[in-house]
This record gives sequence, C-alpha cells and structure tokens, in this order.
Amino acid sequence: MKFNTDEIASVLREEIDRYESSIDVREVGRVLEVGDGIARVWGLSGVMAGEMVEFPGGIIGLAFNLEENSVGVIILGDYLKVTEGDEVRSTGRLLSVPVGDAVVGRVLDPLGNPLDGRGPVVTTQQRPVEALAPGVAQRSPVREPLQTGIKAIDAMTPIGRGQRELIIGDRKTGKTAIGLDAIINQRSSGVKCFYVAVGQKDSTVAVAIDVLRQHGAMDYTTVIVSGASTPAPLQYIAPYSGTAMAEHFMYRGEHVLIIYDDLSKQAQAYRQLSLLMRRPPGREAYPGDVFYAHSRLLERSAKLSSELGGGSITSLPIIETLEGEVSAYIPTNVISITDGQIYLQPDLFFAGQRPAMNVGISVSRVGGAAQTKAMKKVSGGLRLDLASFRELEAFAQLGTDLDAATQSRLDRGYRMVELLKQGQYQPMAMVDQVMMIYAGTRGHLDDVKREDVAMWEKEFLTFVRDQMPELRKAIDESNQLDDKSEKTLEGAIAEFKRQRAAALVVQPSSTVAAGR
Amino acid sequence: MVDSTLPRSKSKDLPPDIGAARIAKVYAQAIVEASDRKNCRAEVIAELAHIVRELLPRVPAALHVFASPRVSEREKISMLDTILGSTMLPTTLHSLKVLARHDRLGILPEVVEAAEHLLDELAGRRRATFLTAVDLEESQQSMAVLQLEKLVGGAITPTFRVDPELLGGMIVRVGDTVFDDSVATSLVRLGSRLVQRSVHEIQYRRDRLGSA
Repeated sequence: MKFNTDEIASVLREEIDRYESSIDVREVGRVLEVGDGIARVWGLSGVMAGEMVEFPGGIIGLAFNLEENSVGVIILGDYLKVTEGDEVRSTGRLLSVPVGDAVVGRVLDPLGNPLDGRGPVVTTQQRPVEALAPGVAQRSPVREPLQTGIKAIDAMTPIGRGQRELIIGDRKTGKTAIGLDAIINQRSSGVKCFYVAVGQKDSTVAVAIDVLRQHGAMDYTTVIVSGASTPAPLQYIAPYSGTAMAEHFMYRGEHVLIIYDDLSKQAQAYRQLSLLMRRPPGREAYPGDVFYAHSRLLERSAKLSSELGGGSITSLPIIETLEGEVSAYIPTNVISITDGQIYLQPDLFFAGQRPAMNVGISVSRVGGAAQTKAMKKVSGGLRLDLASFRELEAFAQLGTDLDAATQSRLDRGYRMVELLKQGQYQPMAMVDQVMMIYAGTRGHLDDVKREDVAMWEKEFLTFVRDQMPELRKAIDESNQLDDKSEKTLEGAIAEFKRQRAAALVVQPSSTVAAGR
Repeated sequence: MVDSTLPRSKSKDLPPDIGAARIAKVYAQAIVEASDRKNCRAEVIAELAHIVRELLPRVPAALHVFASPRVSEREKISMLDTILGSTMLPTTLHSLKVLARHDRLGILPEVVEAAEHLLDELAGRRRATFLTAVDLEESQQSMAVLQLEKLVGGAITPTFRVDPELLGGMIVRVGDTVFDDSVATSLVRLGSRLVQRSVHEIQYRRDRLGSA
C-alpha cells in the first residue's frame, strides 16, 4: 500500500494548528500487585467506588474496593498486559457501553466491542453500565403479553412485558432452548431481543448464534458474549452491560426481551472477584452482597408508565441447579427476586416431554393479567387438571382397576401432556395455541390415539389455515374467543375429523393397492 | 470508550511497603501529638529526620541492627542511650525507645516520612514534584511554584526533577493529581487521535460502499 505523504502532512499540520495546549489533569496511582483479573493500586486517593480507571495501553478497570492505603481494581481486559509499577489514572466517569440501533444484530463483548468481525459499532450514544432501576412512580402494572410461542408457557405460566420469569433446571434440560424459542418468536412482534451469554462454552454460544441467524432472529437481536475463558470481571459485568443496552430501547418506548444465560455463572464470577479482593465470604463462599448483585440487575426490568413512553424490559434469567437442588443459595435468591419461575426437570426431559416443564411448581406471579382473553378462556384450570392428572397417574401405575370416570380423566391427561410437547425452535402463534388447547381441554382429542396427537395437531392447523382462514383472523384480531368464534371452531374440528376419518379409510386400501 | 493511551512509564517512586506505611502512620501520629504537648513538634521531627537522613546513611548496618530481632530490646535501648542520649531532646529519645520496645525501630524511615506528611497536612502545606525535560533556572522555579500555589490554594513544598524523556513542557504532581503539559504526552494523544480518525474514516467509507 502506498501512502500519500502530502495528505498525512496536511492532516498533521491541521492538527498542530488546532492544537491547544490543554493541560492533561489526571489523578494517578501505581499498580502494587496484579493477578487473576484484579489489581491493587497505591494512590488514586480521590477515586470513587465504581469509577472507571485507565491502565497503560487503554485497558480499563473499575475501582471496586476502596481501602485505607490502596484501591482494589477489577481489570476489564487483558490483565496480563498490566504490570507492577504501571501508572493508573482515574477518568472521573462511570463505565458505559455503546447503545442504540447500531448494536442490533451484533455480537459484542461486555464492553461493547464487536466480536463478529463486522467492524466497530458506530454510535455516539452511551449508557452507564450500572444504572438505577425505575422507581415506583415510573412504572405501570404488567398487562401486555409477551408470547414465547411455547404452548406450555403461554398457557400455564404466561409472561407479561416487564416481567422477570426465571428459567431454572439442571444442566441439559432445555433452559437455553426456551430462551432462544422466545427470541425466535419475536420475529413479527417488534420486540428487540438481547441474549447475554455468561460463562458459557464458546462452542455453545456459537451454536446459539447460528440458530438465531438461521431463523432470521439476528435482525432484531444483540448477543453479548462473555465466555468461560474470559476473565471474571467481564463475566461479572456482562448482564449489567446487556441491560444498559436494553434500557436505551425501553426508555425510547420500545419493548425488549433479555435472556441472561446464566446468572449462576455470573454469581460464581462475582464470588471469585470478591474472594480475590478479600471481601468476607458468606454462605457457599458467596459474598454478602450477591443478593444485591442480582436484585439490582433484575429490578431494571420494568414496564414503564405511559408518561415515560410505556416501554418495557422483560427478562428471562436462567439459573442452573445441581441435582435439582432449588434450595441452594443462588437459586433461592433469584427465585425470590423474580416474578415466577419455569422449573425444568431432567426426568421429564428424558421421558420425552419437551419442554420438560414441571407444571406443578412452575408459576407466573403477574403474567395472568397479561394473558389474552382467548388464552385465558381455554387454559383456565389446565394447570390444576394436569397436576391432578400427575397424581392419578401415580395411582394408575399400581395397576388397580379404575372406574370409567377416572380412566377418562387419565386419558384426557395423557393427551394434554402429548399436546403440550413442542419441538425446539418451532414457536407457535397464539391463535394456533388457543385452538389446540381448546381442542384438548374440551375433549376433542379423547378419541385420538396418544401417539397420533402430534400428527393430528399438525394436520388440523394446516386444515384451518387452508380452509378456514377467517376463523384464525377473527381470533387473532380480537384476541378473544367469543361465542361465534367458538361455534365456528367447534364446526371446524368436526369437519376436520370427518375429513380425516374419510382419508384414513381411503388410505389403507390405497396402500393395499400399491402393494399389489 | 477511553480515547487516549497513556505512555507506558515505569515509576521510580513506587511506594514503600504499604503494610509498614500503615503502621508508621500510627506511630507518627503518636509522636507528633506527644511532642505537641511539650511544644517541640518541629524540633522532634527534625531530629528524627536528621537521624534517618544523616546518621543512618553513614552507618548502613545501623538500620539492620535496629530491625533485627536478634538484638534484644534492652540492647537497643542502651545503644540509643549511649549514642544519642546526650544530644537529643528527651521526647525524641522516648519516641525512639517506644519504637524499640514495640520492635518497630526498623520502620523508622517510614515513621519519619509519615510524620513529615502529617506536619505538612497540619500546616496546610502540600508537596509537589516538578518534572521537566531540562533543568529550570531559579527564577523559573519560583515562578512555577508561585503559579501552582495559586492554583491549589495553599503553600507547597516543591521538589524538582529532570527527565529528558518528556522532550519539553512540564509535569507537576501534587498528591495524587498530575498536571501534565509535557510534549511526550501531547504527542501520544495526537497519535491516538489520528489513528482514531482514520479508523472512523475507514468505517465510514466501508459503510457507504456497503450500502451503495
């Protein structure tokens, strides 16, 4: 490459002309010791807690511990490049990240630096990573639904915009899949999505990004990655910086969905930092303020009042449990902070029930108000029915003779369980969910074989889409299942069953014919 | 994002052992308060400073003896009595003996340092280091001190040092605050600004090409 020296000289000349001898005033300290992502600094006597400091080479850190003779700094970057004796300067600013439309569709690190090789994030807007959550007066109750596209969740533990719903379960029970499904389902809802991966394997995150891209979800999604190999300070701040980017849209009146995958890893990173900083360990060696670390994060998910634009952040934090132990420290903390939890169980997962949600102990504390009328009408009592079915099922396994009524309840239960199964990355529209749950709860599936339920569902939805589009339209527009629509739906089911029976009668003979 | 990159400078004034400094501060405060009661604050500190700066460098082994746990407390005290007994103020001697009794005679230099800091603080005086590329003349020095005193609003105790790496200009350090008007820093800032502008330019042109 050839350089144009004239051009360079002119740029330099211009710079020198405009150069004002502005004195660089800074407050400085010296690195006493450094290691494991933290540094102890002597000096910096006027630095404030949480203030951003700068090491040589542009590496930044956060003043974390202010002690009598030194300052503990967490290093957000390559701590191997910081050496003893380096000058540290305070910046008088809080850590901020780039925000705005430029971050949408990008894969970023917790400081907003691009990781996807698509060039720098060009935006002038910044937001502090740590911000106060909206106060009581700035909020309004959660009323609008956020459709995850997953039948079991939308029907039984509905999520509203501005809600925090915990996804909790052992490893490999489909926690991330629920989050990704929820993101994929926002394709036409206009909800911006953020996926914050903390302490995950980079290979797992790469798969997740690939899935989002394949389903066209990267158009409205930002992925913030702080993998298992990144230093603990970055893992610790990742959820906060993701939230800062999300808040920008919330305060602009838009709706945001943010997935924290997962907060148990973030708590571990915070524990590491705190122990290295010699903060006293508490239960399970976590520092005393680990509850506050999560509560101040999740409080920032809110539904704003209409005066502030009515935007919202809905968050789906994920917590990984060990051997189903929900009474461990971090799970109980986050359960108490969130507005409900979706509990995933390995035994259900391996029994083929996916999502492997335990209906009995999964709850949504505020989402009910956000459910559409149609869904509320068809799904009322579904949770209790399923829970009582689980009890009956346990009885039935003893092999006792059952009376007809019990047997029919069991049969209904089996079919409902089948109905609530749903493949990965196949979110379903609200209308389709309503129609299917209607068919299940009103007993229209009782005469369908258990293993045929999935097929029945597929065929029925195609039938309605092709032959009765006005029914879908009516429910979709009004969000209600009024008497007229209900009658039409009954008619549709009857007609579909008739056609299906006819087709089944024809099919075997044609097979025979083909065989001949 | 951070917009400038600091030159990588290694410090020649790394702090002493901060553990020792913390302990020294406590002793320094006690010594200052004790000498205050006898109205001989300045004298006591001056005598201690004299020991650290004049006597100890002449007998390098002395500090080792002071710090050594092998030498018993009684021996140290009798040594102090014989060497300094007649020449020092009683408060100075008592201070040294208290340090010896608590096995802290080894951190005497830190104690003196801390005490001097404390005296400066009490008098509202601040220490400043002037770092320049070339030696300053007397008149320039006094002008710089005067200017700085006006800026920080109080008397200062200046130290002047020379570092040719600055190329020009001056770096003044008062406490933890650094006023940097050196040519070296300006050049670094100019360089990073040029790089940043080019990166922005490249990105802008690429975006324009991409959208076209």
